[in-house]
Amino acid sequence: MKGVLLSGGTGSRLRPITHTGPKQLVPVANKPVLEYAVEDFKAAGITEIGVILGHKGRDEIQDLLGDGSKYGVDITYIVQGNPLGLAHAAGCARDFVGDDDFVMYLGDNILKSGITDLVESFEAGDYGAGIALQRVDDPQAFGIADVDENGNVTELIEKPDDPPTNLALIGMYVFSPAVFDAIDNLEPSWRGELEITDAIQSLLEDGYEIDSHVVTGWWKDTGKPEDILEANRLVLEETNLTTDGTVAEDATTDGRVGLAESATIEDGAVVRGPVSIAENTTVKSGTYVGPYSSIGANVTLSNIHIENSVVIGDSEITASGRIVDSLIGRSANVESTDGLLPEGRRLVVGENSQLKL
Amino acid sequence: MRIITHTCPDCGTVVAANELESNRVMKCPGLGCQAVLRFDDLPEDARDHFLDNRERYQI
Repeated sequence: MKGVLLSGGTGSRLRPITHTGPKQLVPVANKPVLEYAVEDFKAAGITEIGVILGHKGRDEIQDLLGDGSKYGVDITYIVQGNPLGLAHAAGCARDFVGDDDFVMYLGDNILKSGITDLVESFEAGDYGAGIALQRVDDPQAFGIADVDENGNVTELIEKPDDPPTNLALIGMYVFSPAVFDAIDNLEPSWRGELEITDAIQSLLEDGYEIDSHVVTGWWKDTGKPEDILEANRLVLEETNLTTDGTVAEDATTDGRVGLAESATIEDGAVVRGPVSIAENTTVKSGTYVGPYSSIGANVTLSNIHIENSVVIGDSEITASGRIVDSLIGRSANVESTDGLLPEGRRLVVGENSQLKL
Repeated sequence: MRIITHTCPDCGTVVAANELESNRVMKCPGLGCQAVLRFDDLPEDARDHFLDNRERYQI
Protein backbone atom coordinates (compact mmCIF):
# COMPACT_ATOMS: atom_id res chain seq x y z
CA MET A 1 0.00 0.00 0.00
CA LYS A 2 1.27 3.44 -0.95
CA GLY A 3 0.08 6.94 -0.14
CA VAL A 4 -0.74 9.84 -2.41
CA LEU A 5 -0.97 13.15 -0.60
CA LEU A 6 -2.62 16.00 -2.47
CA SER A 7 -0.90 19.31 -1.79
CA GLY A 8 -1.95 21.50 -4.66
CA GLY A 9 -4.68 24.11 -4.87
CA THR A 10 -4.60 27.87 -4.64
CA GLY A 11 -5.91 28.27 -1.10
CA SER A 12 -8.12 31.14 -2.24
CA ARG A 13 -10.47 30.79 0.73
CA LEU A 14 -7.56 31.27 3.11
CA ARG A 15 -6.30 34.54 1.65
CA PRO A 16 -4.42 36.62 2.64
CA ILE A 17 -2.63 33.88 4.60
CA THR A 18 -2.08 31.92 1.38
CA HIS A 19 -0.77 34.86 -0.63
CA THR A 20 2.67 33.85 0.58
CA GLY A 21 2.43 30.11 0.99
CA PRO A 22 0.40 26.97 0.44
CA LYS A 23 -2.65 26.26 2.55
CA GLN A 24 -1.29 22.88 3.59
CA LEU A 25 1.44 24.58 5.61
CA VAL A 26 -0.87 26.67 7.78
CA PRO A 27 -0.27 25.42 11.32
CA VAL A 28 -2.83 23.78 13.55
CA ALA A 29 -1.62 23.50 17.15
CA ASN A 30 1.72 24.74 15.87
CA LYS A 31 2.13 21.96 13.33
CA PRO A 32 1.56 22.34 9.58
CA VAL A 33 -1.64 20.63 8.50
CA LEU A 34 0.31 18.52 6.02
CA GLU A 35 2.33 16.86 8.77
CA TYR A 36 -0.83 15.36 10.29
CA ALA A 37 -1.45 13.54 7.02
CA VAL A 38 2.12 12.22 6.84
CA GLU A 39 1.80 10.97 10.41
CA ASP A 40 -1.51 9.30 9.60
CA PHE A 41 0.14 7.48 6.69
CA LYS A 42 2.96 6.33 8.93
CA ALA A 43 0.53 5.18 11.63
CA ALA A 44 -1.32 3.11 9.00
CA GLY A 45 1.94 1.44 7.98
CA ILE A 46 2.26 3.39 4.73
CA THR A 47 5.79 4.63 4.28
CA GLU A 48 5.99 5.29 0.53
CA ILE A 49 4.22 8.56 -0.12
CA GLY A 50 3.81 10.51 -3.34
CA VAL A 51 3.21 14.19 -2.65
CA ILE A 52 1.26 15.93 -5.42
CA LEU A 53 2.36 19.52 -5.96
CA GLY A 54 0.41 22.20 -7.82
CA HIS A 55 1.69 25.58 -8.85
CA LYS A 56 1.83 27.05 -5.37
CA GLY A 57 4.26 26.38 -2.56
CA ARG A 58 6.30 23.66 -4.24
CA ASP A 59 9.58 24.68 -2.67
CA GLU A 60 8.06 25.33 0.77
CA ILE A 61 6.41 21.92 0.88
CA GLN A 62 9.57 20.14 -0.27
CA ASP A 63 11.56 22.17 2.23
CA LEU A 64 9.28 21.03 5.05
CA LEU A 65 8.88 17.37 4.18
CA GLY A 66 12.27 16.78 2.51
CA ASP A 67 12.77 13.16 1.54
CA GLY A 68 10.51 12.10 4.39
CA SER A 69 13.27 10.57 6.49
CA LYS A 70 12.55 12.79 9.48
CA TYR A 71 9.07 11.25 9.58
CA GLY A 72 10.29 7.71 8.89
CA VAL A 73 8.77 7.67 5.40
CA ASP A 74 10.03 7.89 1.83
CA ILE A 75 8.62 10.78 -0.20
CA THR A 76 8.45 11.17 -3.98
CA TYR A 77 7.25 14.48 -5.41
CA ILE A 78 4.78 14.55 -8.27
CA VAL A 79 4.20 17.88 -10.01
CA GLN A 80 0.66 18.05 -11.32
CA GLY A 81 0.91 21.64 -12.51
CA ASN A 82 -2.52 22.67 -13.73
CA PRO A 83 -5.31 21.79 -11.28
CA LEU A 84 -7.12 19.38 -13.59
CA GLY A 85 -8.99 17.54 -10.86
CA LEU A 86 -8.49 14.86 -8.23
CA ALA A 87 -8.60 12.07 -10.79
CA HIS A 88 -5.90 13.83 -12.82
CA ALA A 89 -3.80 14.12 -9.66
CA ALA A 90 -4.26 10.40 -9.02
CA GLY A 91 -3.39 9.67 -12.65
CA CYS A 92 -0.16 11.63 -12.33
CA ALA A 93 0.81 9.20 -9.56
CA ARG A 94 0.42 6.11 -11.76
CA ASP A 95 4.14 5.45 -12.28
CA PHE A 96 4.79 6.03 -8.59
CA VAL A 97 2.00 3.70 -7.46
CA GLY A 98 2.72 0.93 -9.96
CA ASP A 99 0.75 -2.21 -9.16
CA ASP A 100 0.08 -1.32 -5.51
CA ASP A 101 -3.10 -0.17 -3.86
CA PHE A 102 -2.93 3.38 -2.57
CA VAL A 103 -4.61 5.80 -0.20
CA MET A 104 -5.39 9.24 -1.56
CA TYR A 105 -5.46 11.88 1.18
CA LEU A 106 -6.33 15.55 0.78
CA GLY A 107 -3.47 17.42 2.39
CA ASP A 108 -5.60 20.16 3.93
CA ASN A 109 -7.78 17.70 5.84
CA ILE A 110 -7.37 16.48 9.40
CA LEU A 111 -9.03 13.35 10.69
CA LYS A 112 -9.24 12.56 14.37
CA SER A 113 -9.12 8.85 13.87
CA GLY A 114 -6.50 8.72 11.11
CA ILE A 115 -6.75 6.32 8.18
CA THR A 116 -5.84 2.97 9.71
CA ASP A 117 -9.47 1.77 9.93
CA LEU A 118 -10.12 2.89 6.36
CA VAL A 119 -7.12 0.91 5.13
CA GLU A 120 -7.97 -2.19 7.18
CA SER A 121 -11.57 -2.15 5.95
CA PHE A 122 -10.38 -1.96 2.33
CA GLU A 123 -7.83 -4.73 2.80
CA ALA A 124 -10.42 -7.04 4.39
CA GLY A 125 -12.18 -7.49 1.03
CA ASP A 126 -11.54 -7.54 -2.69
CA TYR A 127 -12.46 -4.00 -3.58
CA GLY A 128 -11.79 -1.70 -6.49
CA ALA A 129 -11.86 1.26 -4.13
CA GLY A 130 -12.79 2.31 -0.63
CA ILE A 131 -14.17 5.66 0.42
CA ALA A 132 -14.38 7.40 3.76
CA LEU A 133 -17.79 8.74 4.66
CA GLN A 134 -19.16 10.83 7.44
CA ARG A 135 -22.74 11.43 8.54
CA VAL A 136 -23.76 15.03 7.96
CA ASP A 137 -26.82 17.09 8.83
CA ASP A 138 -27.12 18.72 5.39
CA PRO A 139 -26.52 15.97 2.80
CA GLN A 140 -27.86 18.21 0.02
CA ALA A 141 -24.61 20.16 0.28
CA PHE A 142 -22.27 17.20 -0.25
CA GLY A 143 -21.37 14.35 -2.53
CA ILE A 144 -23.43 11.51 -1.04
CA ALA A 145 -22.94 7.75 -1.17
CA ASP A 146 -25.73 5.19 -1.13
CA VAL A 147 -24.64 1.90 0.43
CA ASP A 148 -26.13 -1.59 0.67
CA GLU A 149 -26.56 -3.70 3.81
CA ASN A 150 -22.93 -4.87 3.58
CA GLY A 151 -21.60 -1.35 3.48
CA ASN A 152 -20.74 -1.55 -0.21
CA VAL A 153 -21.31 1.62 -2.18
CA THR A 154 -24.06 1.34 -4.77
CA GLU A 155 -24.21 4.90 -6.05
CA LEU A 156 -22.53 8.29 -5.71
CA ILE A 157 -24.65 11.40 -6.09
CA GLU A 158 -23.33 14.96 -6.11
CA LYS A 159 -25.40 17.36 -3.97
CA PRO A 160 -28.68 15.45 -4.34
CA ASP A 161 -32.05 17.17 -3.93
CA ASP A 162 -33.42 13.99 -2.43
CA PRO A 163 -30.47 12.29 -0.70
CA PRO A 164 -30.83 8.55 -0.13
CA THR A 165 -28.47 8.72 2.88
CA ASN A 166 -26.67 11.33 4.94
CA LEU A 167 -23.28 9.72 4.24
CA ALA A 168 -21.01 12.36 2.73
CA LEU A 169 -17.70 11.75 0.96
CA ILE A 170 -14.96 13.43 2.95
CA GLY A 171 -12.08 13.23 0.52
CA MET A 172 -10.21 10.14 1.74
CA TYR A 173 -10.00 7.23 -0.66
CA VAL A 174 -8.29 3.89 -1.11
CA PHE A 175 -7.84 2.63 -4.64
CA SER A 176 -6.71 -0.50 -6.37
CA PRO A 177 -4.62 0.09 -9.51
CA ALA A 178 -7.82 -0.57 -11.50
CA VAL A 179 -8.66 3.08 -10.97
CA PHE A 180 -5.98 4.11 -13.46
CA ASP A 181 -7.79 2.45 -16.36
CA ALA A 182 -11.00 4.11 -15.20
CA ILE A 183 -9.22 7.49 -15.18
CA ASP A 184 -7.85 6.86 -18.67
CA ASN A 185 -11.42 6.55 -19.90
CA LEU A 186 -12.74 9.67 -18.18
CA GLU A 187 -13.70 12.86 -19.92
CA PRO A 188 -13.34 16.25 -18.22
CA SER A 189 -16.46 17.41 -16.42
CA TRP A 190 -18.32 20.66 -17.14
CA ARG A 191 -15.71 22.46 -15.03
CA GLY A 192 -12.85 21.03 -17.07
CA GLU A 193 -11.63 18.64 -14.38
CA LEU A 194 -11.27 14.89 -14.16
CA GLU A 195 -13.57 14.06 -11.25
CA ILE A 196 -12.62 11.32 -8.82
CA THR A 197 -16.30 10.54 -8.22
CA ASP A 198 -16.61 9.80 -11.95
CA ALA A 199 -13.69 7.38 -11.66
CA ILE A 200 -15.35 5.61 -8.73
CA GLN A 201 -18.67 5.50 -10.57
CA SER A 202 -16.83 3.96 -13.51
CA LEU A 203 -15.37 1.27 -11.26
CA LEU A 204 -18.88 0.53 -9.98
CA GLU A 205 -20.20 0.21 -13.53
CA ASP A 206 -17.33 -2.12 -14.37
CA GLY A 207 -18.45 -4.44 -11.58
CA TYR A 208 -15.95 -3.60 -8.89
CA GLU A 209 -17.14 -3.54 -5.30
CA ILE A 210 -16.55 -0.24 -3.52
CA ASP A 211 -15.99 -0.38 0.22
CA SER A 212 -17.24 2.34 2.52
CA HIS A 213 -15.91 3.30 5.90
CA VAL A 214 -17.90 5.64 8.11
CA VAL A 215 -15.62 7.96 10.06
CA THR A 216 -16.96 8.46 13.55
CA GLY A 217 -14.51 11.00 14.99
CA TRP A 218 -14.23 14.56 13.80
CA TRP A 219 -12.95 15.51 10.39
CA LYS A 220 -11.97 18.99 9.28
CA ASP A 221 -11.27 20.47 5.89
CA THR A 222 -9.05 23.40 6.85
CA GLY A 223 -9.85 25.45 3.77
CA LYS A 224 -11.13 28.58 5.52
CA PRO A 225 -9.92 30.66 8.48
CA GLU A 226 -12.78 29.52 10.70
CA ASP A 227 -11.92 25.91 9.84
CA ILE A 228 -8.32 26.46 10.95
CA LEU A 229 -9.58 27.81 14.29
CA GLU A 230 -11.97 24.90 14.69
CA ALA A 231 -9.29 22.34 13.82
CA ASN A 232 -6.92 24.09 16.22
CA ARG A 233 -9.51 23.80 18.97
CA LEU A 234 -10.17 20.12 18.25
CA VAL A 235 -6.48 19.22 18.12
CA LEU A 236 -5.55 21.19 21.25
CA GLU A 237 -8.38 19.47 23.06
CA GLU A 238 -6.68 16.12 22.55
CA THR A 239 -2.99 16.80 22.07
CA ASN A 240 -0.53 15.94 24.77
CA LEU A 241 0.84 19.33 25.83
CA THR A 242 3.95 19.62 27.96
CA THR A 243 5.46 22.66 29.61
CA ASP A 244 9.15 22.48 28.78
CA GLY A 245 9.87 26.21 28.71
CA THR A 246 10.34 28.77 31.45
CA VAL A 247 7.40 29.89 33.58
CA ALA A 248 8.34 32.78 35.85
CA GLU A 249 7.47 32.56 39.52
CA ASP A 250 4.80 35.25 39.35
CA ALA A 251 3.25 34.05 36.11
CA THR A 252 -0.02 32.12 36.27
CA THR A 253 -0.77 29.04 34.20
CA ASP A 254 -3.93 26.95 34.37
CA GLY A 255 -4.88 23.85 32.45
CA ARG A 256 -2.72 22.22 29.82
CA VAL A 257 -0.04 24.54 28.50
CA GLY A 258 2.33 23.38 25.77
CA LEU A 259 5.42 25.55 26.11
CA ALA A 260 8.48 24.91 23.96
CA GLU A 261 11.79 24.67 25.74
CA SER A 262 13.00 28.06 24.52
CA ALA A 263 9.68 29.85 25.19
CA THR A 264 9.01 31.99 28.24
CA ILE A 265 6.00 33.11 30.24
CA GLU A 266 7.11 36.13 32.24
CA ASP A 267 5.98 37.48 35.60
CA GLY A 268 2.50 38.97 35.51
CA ALA A 269 1.33 36.97 32.47
CA VAL A 270 -1.64 34.60 32.62
CA VAL A 271 -1.95 31.57 30.35
CA ARG A 272 -5.00 29.34 30.50
CA GLY A 273 -4.92 26.14 28.49
CA PRO A 274 -5.28 24.28 26.33
CA VAL A 275 -2.66 26.44 24.67
CA SER A 276 0.40 25.74 22.52
CA ILE A 277 3.32 28.17 22.55
CA ALA A 278 6.22 27.50 20.18
CA GLU A 279 9.96 28.13 20.26
CA ASN A 280 11.51 31.49 21.15
CA THR A 281 8.18 33.05 21.99
CA THR A 282 7.78 35.32 24.98
CA VAL A 283 4.55 36.05 26.83
CA LYS A 284 5.20 39.25 28.69
CA SER A 285 3.66 40.85 31.75
CA GLY A 286 0.05 42.00 31.42
CA THR A 287 -0.71 39.42 28.74
CA TYR A 288 -3.50 36.88 28.89
CA VAL A 289 -3.42 33.88 26.58
CA GLY A 290 -6.74 32.09 26.73
CA PRO A 291 -7.92 28.59 25.81
CA TYR A 292 -7.59 27.20 22.30
CA SER A 293 -4.79 29.52 21.26
CA SER A 294 -1.69 28.47 19.36
CA ILE A 295 1.16 30.95 19.34
CA GLY A 296 3.86 30.19 16.79
CA ALA A 297 7.61 30.61 17.02
CA ASN A 298 9.42 33.91 17.51
CA VAL A 299 6.41 35.84 18.77
CA THR A 300 6.30 38.49 21.46
CA LEU A 301 2.98 39.01 23.23
CA SER A 302 2.71 42.03 25.49
CA ASN A 303 -0.36 43.52 27.21
CA ILE A 304 -2.69 41.73 24.82
CA HIS A 305 -5.57 39.44 25.74
CA ILE A 306 -5.78 36.72 23.12
CA GLU A 307 -8.08 33.73 23.02
CA ASN A 308 -9.22 31.03 20.58
CA SER A 309 -6.73 32.29 18.01
CA VAL A 310 -3.80 31.14 15.90
CA VAL A 311 -0.68 33.29 15.56
CA ILE A 312 1.46 31.67 12.89
CA GLY A 313 4.80 33.14 13.95
CA ASP A 314 7.45 35.90 13.79
CA SER A 315 5.02 38.51 15.14
CA GLU A 316 5.01 41.31 17.68
CA ILE A 317 1.59 41.68 19.28
CA THR A 318 1.77 44.46 21.81
CA ALA A 319 -1.56 46.29 21.63
CA SER A 320 -3.58 46.61 24.81
CA GLY A 321 -6.82 45.05 23.64
CA ARG A 322 -8.59 41.77 23.16
CA ILE A 323 -8.09 39.50 20.18
CA VAL A 324 -10.48 36.57 19.80
CA ASP A 325 -11.28 34.06 17.04
CA SER A 326 -8.41 35.37 14.91
CA LEU A 327 -5.84 34.00 12.50
CA ILE A 328 -2.73 36.17 12.34
CA GLY A 329 -0.29 35.52 9.52
CA ARG A 330 3.46 35.24 9.67
CA SER A 331 5.35 38.43 10.48
CA ALA A 332 2.12 40.37 11.04
CA ASN A 333 2.47 42.88 13.88
CA VAL A 334 -0.31 44.33 16.03
CA GLU A 335 0.88 47.35 17.98
CA SER A 336 -0.70 49.93 20.23
CA THR A 337 -1.72 53.41 19.08
CA ASP A 338 -1.45 54.74 22.63
CA GLY A 339 0.17 58.16 22.58
CA LEU A 340 -0.16 58.60 18.82
CA LEU A 341 -2.00 61.58 17.40
CA PRO A 342 -4.36 61.91 15.72
CA GLU A 343 -6.17 59.13 17.53
CA GLY A 344 -7.32 56.30 15.36
CA ARG A 345 -6.44 52.90 14.04
CA ARG A 346 -3.56 52.62 11.63
CA LEU A 347 -3.79 49.76 9.20
CA VAL A 348 -1.59 48.30 6.53
CA VAL A 349 -3.86 45.54 5.29
CA GLY A 350 -3.17 43.19 2.40
CA GLU A 351 -5.56 42.06 -0.28
CA ASN A 352 -8.37 39.78 0.89
CA SER A 353 -7.82 40.60 4.55
CA GLN A 354 -10.78 40.60 6.91
CA LEU A 355 -10.96 42.94 9.88
CA LYS A 356 -13.75 43.35 12.42
CA LEU A 357 -13.01 46.50 14.43
CA MET B 1 -8.17 11.13 -20.66
CA ARG B 2 -4.61 10.01 -21.08
CA ILE B 3 -2.36 11.39 -18.36
CA ILE B 4 1.23 11.80 -19.42
CA THR B 5 4.13 12.23 -17.01
CA HIS B 6 7.89 12.22 -17.09
CA THR B 7 10.20 11.18 -14.27
CA CYS B 8 13.37 13.16 -13.61
CA PRO B 9 16.27 10.74 -14.12
CA ASP B 10 18.31 12.46 -11.41
CA CYS B 11 15.93 12.89 -8.45
CA GLY B 12 12.83 10.86 -9.33
CA THR B 13 10.43 13.80 -9.26
CA VAL B 14 7.46 13.12 -11.53
CA VAL B 15 6.32 15.98 -13.76
CA ALA B 16 3.02 16.15 -15.65
CA ALA B 17 3.16 16.82 -19.38
CA ASN B 18 1.21 20.09 -19.07
CA GLU B 19 4.01 21.43 -16.91
CA LEU B 20 6.69 20.31 -19.35
CA GLU B 21 4.81 21.69 -22.33
CA SER B 22 4.18 25.09 -20.78
CA ASN B 23 7.88 25.49 -20.06
CA ARG B 24 9.36 23.45 -22.94
CA VAL B 25 12.73 23.52 -21.14
CA MET B 26 12.75 23.71 -17.36
CA LYS B 27 14.91 23.09 -14.35
CA CYS B 28 13.60 20.06 -12.50
CA PRO B 29 11.14 21.25 -9.81
CA GLY B 30 12.69 18.80 -7.32
CA LEU B 31 14.25 20.94 -4.61
CA GLY B 32 18.00 21.16 -5.16
CA CYS B 33 17.92 19.08 -8.34
CA GLN B 34 19.87 20.64 -11.19
CA ALA B 35 18.57 18.41 -13.97
CA VAL B 36 17.06 20.07 -17.03
CA LEU B 37 13.77 18.59 -18.23
CA ARG B 38 12.37 19.07 -21.70
CA PHE B 39 9.02 18.44 -23.30
CA ASP B 40 11.05 16.63 -25.94
CA ASP B 41 12.07 14.09 -23.27
CA LEU B 42 8.61 12.56 -23.66
CA PRO B 43 8.15 9.76 -26.20
CA GLU B 44 7.01 11.00 -29.60
CA ASP B 45 3.55 9.44 -29.35
CA ALA B 46 2.99 11.08 -25.97
CA ARG B 47 4.04 14.48 -27.32
CA ASP B 48 1.80 14.11 -30.33
CA HIS B 49 -1.14 13.04 -28.19
CA PHE B 50 -0.63 15.96 -25.84
CA LEU B 51 -0.35 18.52 -28.61
CA ASP B 52 -3.36 17.10 -30.44
CA ASN B 53 -5.42 17.42 -27.25
CA ARG B 54 -3.70 20.39 -25.74
CA GLU B 55 -6.84 22.32 -24.77
CA ARG B 56 -7.96 19.46 -22.52
CA TYR B 57 -4.83 19.80 -20.41
CA GLN B 58 -5.45 23.48 -19.72
CA ILE B 59 -7.81 25.02 -17.19
